[in-house]
Amino acid sequence: MKRTFETVWLILVTLTIFAFLLGYLKYISTPLVAILLATTFIKALLVIDYFMDLRNVRLKYRLIPIIWLSVTVSLITVAYYF
Amino acid sequence: MSKTLVQKEQYPPGDFAIWIIIYVELVTFALLFLGYAFSRRADVALFNESQLLLSQTSGFINTIVLITSSYFVVKAVNSIKSMTQESYKEFNTQASKWLLLAMVCGGLFLLIKISEFSYIFGEGINLSTNKFYMFYLLLTGFHFMHVLLGSIILFNIYQKTRRFGYRFNDYKGIETGASYWHMVDLLWIILFPLVYIIR
Repeated sequence: MKRTFETVWLILVTLTIFAFLLGYLKYISTPLVAILLATTFIKALLVIDYFMDLRNVRLKYRLIPIIWLSVTVSLITVAYYF
Repeated sequence: MSKTLVQKEQYPPGDFAIWIIIYVELVTFALLFLGYAFSRRADVALFNESQLLLSQTSGFINTIVLITSSYFVVKAVNSIKSMTQESYKEFNTQASKWLLLAMVCGGLFLLIKISEFSYIFGEGINLSTNKFYMFYLLLTGFHFMHVLLGSIILFNIYQKTRRFGYRFNDYKGIETGASYWHMVDLLWIILFPLVYIIR
Protein backbone atom coordinates (compact mmCIF):
# COMPACT_ATOMS: atom_id res chain seq x y z
CA MET A 1 0.00 0.00 0.00
CA LYS A 2 2.89 2.30 0.83
CA ARG A 3 4.24 2.08 -2.72
CA THR A 4 0.89 2.63 -4.43
CA PHE A 5 1.97 5.62 -6.51
CA GLU A 6 5.22 3.96 -7.56
CA THR A 7 3.23 0.92 -8.71
CA VAL A 8 0.81 3.14 -10.66
CA TRP A 9 3.75 4.96 -12.29
CA LEU A 10 5.33 1.63 -13.22
CA ILE A 11 2.11 0.33 -14.79
CA LEU A 12 1.72 3.57 -16.76
CA VAL A 13 5.30 3.36 -18.06
CA THR A 14 4.95 -0.33 -18.95
CA LEU A 15 1.73 0.24 -20.91
CA THR A 16 3.35 3.22 -22.68
CA ILE A 17 6.31 1.05 -23.72
CA PHE A 18 3.81 -1.52 -25.03
CA ALA A 19 2.10 1.19 -27.13
CA PHE A 20 5.45 2.42 -28.44
CA LEU A 21 6.49 -1.08 -29.49
CA LEU A 22 3.20 -1.50 -31.35
CA GLY A 23 4.09 1.66 -33.25
CA TYR A 24 6.97 -0.20 -34.89
CA LEU A 25 4.55 -2.48 -36.70
CA LYS A 26 3.85 -1.35 -40.24
CA TYR A 27 0.27 -2.51 -39.92
CA ILE A 28 -1.52 -2.79 -36.58
CA SER A 29 -4.18 -5.50 -36.76
CA THR A 30 -7.70 -4.94 -35.50
CA PRO A 31 -7.30 -6.96 -32.26
CA LEU A 32 -4.09 -5.05 -31.48
CA VAL A 33 -5.85 -1.70 -31.94
CA ALA A 34 -8.53 -2.96 -29.52
CA ILE A 35 -5.86 -3.93 -26.98
CA LEU A 36 -4.13 -0.57 -27.44
CA LEU A 37 -7.38 1.30 -26.82
CA ALA A 38 -8.08 -0.88 -23.76
CA THR A 39 -4.63 -0.12 -22.31
CA THR A 40 -5.20 3.59 -23.02
CA PHE A 41 -8.45 3.35 -21.05
CA ILE A 42 -6.66 1.67 -18.14
CA LYS A 43 -3.89 4.30 -18.14
CA ALA A 44 -6.36 7.18 -18.14
CA LEU A 45 -8.40 5.52 -15.38
CA LEU A 46 -5.28 5.16 -13.22
CA VAL A 47 -4.50 8.87 -13.67
CA ILE A 48 -8.09 9.80 -12.76
CA ASP A 49 -8.24 7.55 -9.69
CA TYR A 50 -4.73 7.85 -8.27
CA PHE A 51 -3.01 10.98 -9.61
CA MET A 52 -6.12 13.18 -9.67
CA ASP A 53 -7.11 11.42 -6.45
CA LEU A 54 -10.76 10.99 -7.35
CA ARG A 55 -11.08 7.46 -5.99
CA ASN A 56 -11.96 8.76 -2.52
CA VAL A 57 -14.31 11.49 -3.68
CA ARG A 58 -18.12 11.30 -3.95
CA LEU A 59 -19.06 9.14 -6.90
CA LYS A 60 -20.59 11.88 -9.06
CA TYR A 61 -17.29 13.78 -9.30
CA ARG A 62 -15.43 10.61 -10.17
CA LEU A 63 -18.06 9.53 -12.66
CA ILE A 64 -17.80 12.70 -14.78
CA PRO A 65 -14.24 12.00 -16.06
CA ILE A 66 -14.92 8.24 -16.20
CA ILE A 67 -18.01 8.77 -18.38
CA TRP A 68 -16.00 11.26 -20.49
CA LEU A 69 -13.25 8.66 -20.90
CA SER A 70 -15.65 5.82 -21.71
CA VAL A 71 -17.56 7.84 -24.30
CA THR A 72 -14.37 9.18 -25.92
CA VAL A 73 -12.62 5.81 -26.17
CA SER A 74 -15.84 4.08 -27.30
CA LEU A 75 -16.43 6.60 -30.10
CA ILE A 76 -12.79 6.38 -31.20
CA THR A 77 -13.31 2.60 -31.35
CA VAL A 78 -16.44 3.12 -33.46
CA ALA A 79 -14.49 5.41 -35.81
CA TYR A 80 -11.85 2.73 -36.29
CA TYR A 81 -14.05 -0.35 -36.59
CA PHE A 82 -17.41 0.60 -38.08
CA MET B 1 -13.38 -9.87 9.65
CA SER B 2 -13.71 -6.16 10.28
CA LYS B 3 -14.58 -3.93 7.39
CA THR B 4 -13.01 -0.48 7.13
CA LEU B 5 -15.34 2.14 5.77
CA VAL B 6 -13.55 4.93 3.91
CA GLN B 7 -15.27 8.28 4.28
CA LYS B 8 -15.61 9.79 0.80
CA GLU B 9 -14.56 13.40 0.36
CA GLN B 10 -17.39 15.79 -0.35
CA TYR B 11 -15.55 17.58 -3.19
CA PRO B 12 -12.60 16.81 -5.49
CA PRO B 13 -9.14 18.03 -4.37
CA GLY B 14 -8.33 21.73 -4.78
CA ASP B 15 -10.55 24.65 -5.61
CA PHE B 16 -13.87 23.56 -7.09
CA ALA B 17 -13.54 26.14 -9.90
CA ILE B 18 -10.56 24.25 -11.36
CA TRP B 19 -12.79 21.19 -11.76
CA ILE B 20 -15.29 23.17 -13.81
CA ILE B 21 -12.35 24.22 -16.04
CA ILE B 22 -11.05 20.63 -16.17
CA TYR B 23 -14.44 19.21 -17.18
CA VAL B 24 -14.81 21.86 -19.92
CA GLU B 25 -11.27 21.18 -21.20
CA LEU B 26 -11.93 17.44 -21.29
CA VAL B 27 -15.03 17.95 -23.43
CA THR B 28 -13.20 20.37 -25.77
CA PHE B 29 -10.35 17.92 -26.33
CA ALA B 30 -12.77 15.01 -26.72
CA LEU B 31 -14.40 16.85 -29.63
CA LEU B 32 -11.00 17.31 -31.25
CA PHE B 33 -10.09 13.64 -30.66
CA LEU B 34 -13.34 12.52 -32.26
CA GLY B 35 -12.95 15.02 -35.09
CA TYR B 36 -9.57 13.44 -35.79
CA ALA B 37 -10.85 9.84 -35.53
CA PHE B 38 -13.88 10.36 -37.79
CA SER B 39 -11.94 12.46 -40.33
CA ARG B 40 -9.37 9.67 -40.50
CA ARG B 41 -12.14 7.21 -41.26
CA ALA B 42 -13.00 9.22 -44.38
CA ASP B 43 -9.42 9.10 -45.69
CA VAL B 44 -7.40 6.38 -43.96
CA ALA B 45 -4.63 6.30 -46.60
CA LEU B 46 -3.89 10.03 -46.27
CA PHE B 47 -3.78 9.86 -42.45
CA ASN B 48 -1.54 6.77 -42.45
CA GLU B 49 0.86 8.29 -44.94
CA SER B 50 1.03 11.69 -43.21
CA GLN B 51 1.53 10.02 -39.83
CA LEU B 52 4.82 8.50 -41.06
CA LEU B 53 6.49 11.92 -40.80
CA LEU B 54 5.87 12.08 -37.04
CA SER B 55 8.51 10.84 -34.64
CA GLN B 56 6.94 8.11 -32.51
CA THR B 57 10.07 8.16 -30.36
CA SER B 58 9.59 11.80 -29.35
CA GLY B 59 5.90 11.10 -28.69
CA PHE B 60 6.90 8.14 -26.54
CA ILE B 61 9.55 10.08 -24.59
CA ASN B 62 7.07 12.90 -24.02
CA THR B 63 4.52 10.44 -22.64
CA ILE B 64 7.04 9.02 -20.17
CA VAL B 65 8.14 12.55 -19.24
CA LEU B 66 4.56 13.70 -18.52
CA ILE B 67 3.65 10.56 -16.56
CA THR B 68 6.80 10.98 -14.49
CA SER B 69 6.15 14.67 -13.88
CA SER B 70 2.63 13.81 -12.70
CA TYR B 71 4.13 11.30 -10.28
CA PHE B 72 6.49 14.01 -8.93
CA VAL B 73 3.53 16.35 -8.45
CA VAL B 74 1.67 13.63 -6.51
CA LYS B 75 4.73 13.28 -4.26
CA ALA B 76 4.83 17.06 -3.73
CA VAL B 77 1.14 17.19 -2.77
CA ASN B 78 1.57 14.24 -0.40
CA SER B 79 4.55 15.94 1.24
CA ILE B 80 2.46 19.03 1.95
CA LYS B 81 -0.53 16.99 3.15
CA SER B 82 1.55 14.93 5.55
CA MET B 83 3.08 17.90 7.38
CA THR B 84 2.32 18.77 10.98
CA GLN B 85 2.06 22.22 12.53
CA GLU B 86 5.70 22.08 13.64
CA SER B 87 7.27 20.48 10.58
CA TYR B 88 5.98 22.85 7.91
CA LYS B 89 9.44 24.04 6.85
CA GLU B 90 10.77 20.53 6.32
CA PHE B 91 7.74 19.42 4.30
CA ASN B 92 7.61 22.61 2.21
CA THR B 93 11.28 22.03 1.32
CA GLN B 94 10.54 18.42 0.44
CA ALA B 95 7.62 19.45 -1.76
CA SER B 96 9.72 22.11 -3.50
CA LYS B 97 12.23 19.45 -4.54
CA TRP B 98 9.51 17.27 -6.06
CA LEU B 99 8.03 20.29 -7.82
CA LEU B 100 11.42 21.24 -9.24
CA LEU B 101 11.70 17.75 -10.76
CA ALA B 102 8.18 18.06 -12.17
CA MET B 103 9.06 21.43 -13.73
CA VAL B 104 12.21 19.98 -15.30
CA CYS B 105 9.99 17.31 -16.88
CA GLY B 106 7.56 19.99 -18.07
CA GLY B 107 10.45 21.96 -19.61
CA LEU B 108 11.77 18.81 -21.29
CA PHE B 109 8.35 18.09 -22.77
CA LEU B 110 8.16 21.62 -24.18
CA LEU B 111 11.67 21.40 -25.67
CA ILE B 112 10.96 18.07 -27.38
CA LYS B 113 7.70 19.46 -28.71
CA ILE B 114 9.41 22.62 -30.02
CA SER B 115 11.99 20.52 -31.87
CA GLU B 116 9.17 18.39 -33.32
CA PHE B 117 7.27 21.50 -34.46
CA SER B 118 10.48 22.97 -35.96
CA TYR B 119 10.96 19.82 -38.01
CA ILE B 120 7.34 19.76 -39.18
CA PHE B 121 7.34 23.46 -40.11
CA GLY B 122 10.77 23.01 -41.73
CA GLU B 123 9.16 20.48 -44.07
CA GLY B 124 6.81 23.23 -45.21
CA ILE B 125 3.83 21.77 -43.40
CA ASN B 126 1.13 24.03 -41.99
CA LEU B 127 -2.51 23.93 -40.95
CA SER B 128 -3.74 23.88 -44.54
CA THR B 129 -1.41 21.12 -45.83
CA ASN B 130 -4.01 18.41 -45.28
CA LYS B 131 -6.61 17.27 -42.75
CA PHE B 132 -4.18 15.09 -40.79
CA TYR B 133 -1.73 17.94 -40.19
CA MET B 134 -4.53 20.33 -39.39
CA PHE B 135 -5.68 18.03 -36.57
CA TYR B 136 -2.13 17.21 -35.54
CA LEU B 137 -1.15 20.88 -35.23
CA LEU B 138 -4.41 21.86 -33.53
CA LEU B 139 -4.34 19.01 -31.03
CA THR B 140 -0.65 19.11 -30.14
CA GLY B 141 -0.43 22.92 -30.36
CA PHE B 142 -3.42 23.35 -28.05
CA HIS B 143 -2.00 20.76 -25.69
CA PHE B 144 1.41 22.50 -25.82
CA MET B 145 -0.22 25.70 -24.55
CA HIS B 146 -1.76 23.76 -21.67
CA VAL B 147 1.62 22.31 -20.70
CA LEU B 148 3.06 25.83 -20.83
CA LEU B 149 0.31 27.18 -18.57
CA GLY B 150 0.67 24.16 -16.28
CA SER B 151 4.41 24.81 -15.98
CA ILE B 152 3.74 28.43 -14.99
CA ILE B 153 1.25 27.22 -12.36
CA LEU B 154 3.81 24.70 -11.04
CA PHE B 155 6.41 27.46 -10.87
CA ASN B 156 4.10 29.60 -8.75
CA ILE B 157 3.40 26.69 -6.40
CA TYR B 158 7.13 25.98 -6.27
CA GLN B 159 7.84 29.57 -5.24
CA LYS B 160 5.26 29.32 -2.46
CA THR B 161 6.87 26.14 -1.12
CA ARG B 162 10.25 27.93 -1.16
CA ARG B 163 8.69 30.63 1.05
CA PHE B 164 7.28 27.86 3.34
CA GLY B 165 3.87 29.16 2.33
CA TYR B 166 1.87 25.95 2.80
CA ARG B 167 0.70 24.94 6.24
CA PHE B 168 -0.76 21.73 7.61
CA ASN B 169 -4.33 23.00 7.20
CA ASP B 170 -3.81 25.05 4.02
CA TYR B 171 -2.95 23.07 0.90
CA LYS B 172 -5.83 23.82 -1.43
CA GLY B 173 -3.56 25.86 -3.72
CA ILE B 174 -1.14 23.02 -4.43
CA GLU B 175 -4.03 20.59 -4.93
CA THR B 176 -5.61 22.97 -7.45
CA GLY B 177 -2.42 23.30 -9.51
CA ALA B 178 -1.78 19.56 -9.28
CA SER B 179 -5.26 18.74 -10.59
CA TYR B 180 -4.67 20.94 -13.64
CA TRP B 181 -1.29 19.29 -14.28
CA HIS B 182 -2.80 15.78 -14.07
CA MET B 183 -5.46 16.83 -16.59
CA VAL B 184 -2.67 17.79 -19.01
CA ASP B 185 -1.19 14.32 -18.48
CA LEU B 186 -4.57 12.63 -18.91
CA LEU B 187 -5.16 14.36 -22.26
CA TRP B 188 -1.74 13.36 -23.59
CA ILE B 189 -2.34 9.72 -22.60
CA ILE B 190 -5.18 9.62 -25.15
CA LEU B 191 -3.50 11.89 -27.71
CA PHE B 192 -0.31 9.81 -27.96
CA PRO B 193 -1.75 6.50 -29.24
CA LEU B 194 -4.44 8.26 -31.27
CA VAL B 195 -2.15 10.55 -33.28
CA TYR B 196 1.23 8.81 -33.13
CA ILE B 197 0.57 5.06 -32.96
CA ILE B 198 -2.73 3.78 -34.33
CA ARG B 199 -2.85 3.25 -38.08
